[in-house]
Amino acid sequence: MEKFVFFGGKGGVGKTTMSAAYSVKCADAGLDTLVVSTDPAHSTSDVFDQELGDEPQAVEGRDGLWAMEIDPDEEVEHHLMETKRALGDQVSAALVNEIDRQIEMAHQTPGAYEAALFDRFVDVMRSSDDFDRVVFDTSPTGGTLRLLGLPDFLEGWIDRLRRKREKSIDLYEKAAIGNNEPRRVMDGDPILARLQERKEFFEYAGETLREHAAFFLVVNPDELSVRETRRAAEGLADRGLAVRGLAVNRLTPSPDDDENGRGARYLRDRVATERAHLRTLREEFEQPVVAEIETRVEEVKGDFLTEVADELDIEAAPPATPPDGSA
Amino acid sequence: MSDATDDGGGALADRIDRYLDALREWAAGLYHGLVTHPAYEKIEKEAEDLEDTFMLACFPDAFGIPSPVSYYTAELLPYLEDEFEAWERRMWDRGSMLERKGQQYHF
Repeated sequence: MEKFVFFGGKGGVGKTTMSAAYSVKCADAGLDTLVVSTDPAHSTSDVFDQELGDEPQAVEGRDGLWAMEIDPDEEVEHHLMETKRALGDQVSAALVNEIDRQIEMAHQTPGAYEAALFDRFVDVMRSSDDFDRVVFDTSPTGGTLRLLGLPDFLEGWIDRLRRKREKSIDLYEKAAIGNNEPRRVMDGDPILARLQERKEFFEYAGETLREHAAFFLVVNPDELSVRETRRAAEGLADRGLAVRGLAVNRLTPSPDDDENGRGARYLRDRVATERAHLRTLREEFEQPVVAEIETRVEEVKGDFLTEVADELDIEAAPPATPPDGSA
Repeated sequence: MSDATDDGGGALADRIDRYLDALREWAAGLYHGLVTHPAYEKIEKEAEDLEDTFMLACFPDAFGIPSPVSYYTAELLPYLEDEFEAWERRMWDRGSMLERKGQQYHF
């Protein structure tokens, strides 16, 4: 099993429960495990009954388990402050206001939140040397797909920017005929250096996601969830990220045979439609069904988490080839 | 120059030298004006144009076009002071592509 494991799926299907259960399973198998929530509507804190923050925290009462919740707003703020600090160091007072406005604006565009989230989770992957396994509880399908699609897209973009910059500097150097000083020089150009740094960052993210990450989709046995799962699996495959398995959650328990009240009849009907969806999942999807979890009356917490973990048919073995953080 | 007041045999050679110097200066100026200057001005203009497209690709939101990467390119802004100012000036200044390209012919 890869070092990084992602759980995705439609909203409300039980991604947090599944990723928490799986990380409990890994921790019980003796792996140092970190579970990371990237869903803006965090609920990992609720599952572990413990206040979590932006840094890994040991989960009380469980050996070898840490948890954290990524806060993109904080990351946007941090990034804004860093950029402004560099601005103060570099730019003359006359222009600061002008450029400052531009920076502010860039941090309020719709993409900023996603970019910050992406930065943070790549950071978490990069600095995860202390852990044997990192489990990501992702935001609902659409957001996650866009997020995981970013590296390829950004790599290409940054590369084009870099080429433009190189070309214009090259021309400036050529324009400096005789003893003229070229207006810009290639050596030590801070812009090229920054772009290069960013490119490496995206390359690392893309490679790690393709080579060292496994994806599981959590699905409920109903029409909408099955359809969304199909789209998600295709979307991920399009980006070269294969889904390893489907974890079916919230199956309705069937009543005893001799029961025939209104409740029992309802349950029997419900179970019948769910069976049909489960069959679709088994027969029409390439990915195996790795878990069939029945609905529980109580919240899945504490001992229940261990119970659910036992029903998960996802191996918790350590990474076959440990990825080195330097890649 | 001030010592060229004495008369005698050296005067003619001096005058020829002075004449050649002036000629050389004129020739160099002519060459610079006709060939060198337009050449590097043209290249520099081209570089500026490229820089403008770079800036536009980095900060299209300055013109109200949302960019998915402006979050990342904003990091570059503190290091783009000169470019930023020149870019803005050129953006305001530029009438049309024709005018910009025509500038190099100095009519």
